[in-house]
Amino acid sequence: MIHFDNIGMRYGMGSEVLKDISFNLKPGSLHFLTGPSGAGKTSLLKLMYLAQRPSRGKITMFNEDVTAAERGALPKFRRKIGVVFQDFRLLDHLSAVENVALPLWISGGKNIEIEEHVEELLTWVGLKDRMKARPPTLSGGEKQRVAIARAVIKRPDILLADEPTGNVDPAIAKRIMHLFVELNKLGTTTVIATHDMNLVAEIGADRMHLQDGRLHMIRAGENKPLREDEQFDPTEFDSRKLNQDEFGPKDYRPKDYRTTYGDTTLAGDEAS
Amino acid sequence: MTNAIHFLPDEKNHEATRLLPYVMAVMVYLSALALMGSILLHKGFGDWTESLSNRLTVQVTTADRHVRAQQVEQITQLLRNTPGIESVRKLNDVEIEQLLEPWLGAGNVTSDLPVPDILDVTVSHALDINLDALSAQMARISDDIHLDDHQQWLGRFLRLMDMVEYTALGILLLVVMATICMVIFGTKAGMAENRATIEIMHHLGAQDSMVARAYQDRFMAYGLKGGIIGLILAFTTLISLIYLSRDLAAGLVKVPALPIAEVATLLIVPVIAALISMLTARITVMRDLGRMV
Repeated sequence: MIHFDNIGMRYGMGSEVLKDISFNLKPGSLHFLTGPSGAGKTSLLKLMYLAQRPSRGKITMFNEDVTAAERGALPKFRRKIGVVFQDFRLLDHLSAVENVALPLWISGGKNIEIEEHVEELLTWVGLKDRMKARPPTLSGGEKQRVAIARAVIKRPDILLADEPTGNVDPAIAKRIMHLFVELNKLGTTTVIATHDMNLVAEIGADRMHLQDGRLHMIRAGENKPLREDEQFDPTEFDSRKLNQDEFGPKDYRPKDYRTTYGDTTLAGDEAS
Repeated sequence: MTNAIHFLPDEKNHEATRLLPYVMAVMVYLSALALMGSILLHKGFGDWTESLSNRLTVQVTTADRHVRAQQVEQITQLLRNTPGIESVRKLNDVEIEQLLEPWLGAGNVTSDLPVPDILDVTVSHALDINLDALSAQMARISDDIHLDDHQQWLGRFLRLMDMVEYTALGILLLVVMATICMVIFGTKAGMAENRATIEIMHHLGAQDSMVARAYQDRFMAYGLKGGIIGLILAFTTLISLIYLSRDLAAGLVKVPALPIAEVATLLIVPVIAALISMLTARITVMRDLGRMV
């Protein structure tokens, strides 16, 4: 699903913030991305959600070389990727419903279906009464839940989350993690950047650990990096083995919106 | 939820561009005035030169009234016998007085004022008249007879009119260029103001054309709004000018009637302003977005 081959990245003429990054994330895998502040986690995520191009190396996503892709070809990849930004990046002049509906609207979804799905998801994340509220009036935790809902509404093939539970209380954090695990079970390749080692231990997934711009793959439950030859074939992480009860009631299962809106079609562009 | 999500902030929150419609209005106002001036000159003087093109004027300036009357009689006969002359008519005293009044003032044309006799001659368009030969025949009657086909001053006048029209066209082009520059500036400022929004839209999978469409729609609305305001102001100015000039010109210059059909074509100016605005915004956005990752 995501294959990085000897990636290096620098901003402008500065030194490399990511060095010789190589890994292969299988479809449906779940990984945590850990590392100290400034280690390059956000830069690595930016490469994965195609907001930056690497300085060297090759990135293959969805079986295509995205480093060589033209600008015009990138939206079709981005529509398959859901991102939860650390700073939420909600549009302040839109309501919570409209923010969450954006990915569906961009893909050309029908209004009534969008409304129905968005409201259902917002209800599930506990924002039923805040649907019409605009981000400036939402608390940090509420904003984060809106951001998460926006990232998962289309049931993306890849879900990238940068500190997704940083601003929510433990109960909500569990529900959110449960949603991520559910999405992962449905086949969404998931990478969650976090400092919360308790969460990492609780879920028990493989870890991508960044230190000084270099990546180390760490097997679930272990605290030592994988050998070089193991890093391209990380052990199978089977989220199906996870105990559901640990993550709260199974009260929400993400819909496969791709059947409604299509996952690769650019229906929204036809009128453009 | 509305049919389309307007992902750009409302116009009233757009500091960089919210005054743009009013600047567009000024631009359209200037364009419309230049165009209307050009249309009025073209139409007004076109009719005038058309009316003069088959007319000759003969002035008899002989001082002696009796001799002058005889000469007028001779010339009238000569002209009536000339093929191609359709009519010859001597202007009466009242008509001559009306011609002089704008220059001398009403009531100042006295009977002892030495005014020439004037013959108004209508010639046929179908036949070419040898004006040199006709002039020579008149000269044999008297040196005080002057044949004027108006071509000498009319030619100069038409060249002047051409220059005025080219100037109007030049002004129009400058205004269009200024409008384009202004829209480019406004679009870039608007994009800079909403850079974060555009980035988010890109991350969510929006294509450049989707972002460009939001800007082009907005700038088309600016162009249309400004265009309508500018055109209303221009029509108001034009009607005021025509009304005032009728009083002030007082017969010195014939104020052309408002050519409704031609002036009505100016209704297309706001549409053109909107199209220029829309296309400029689209091209600017697409070029700027092309530089992003």
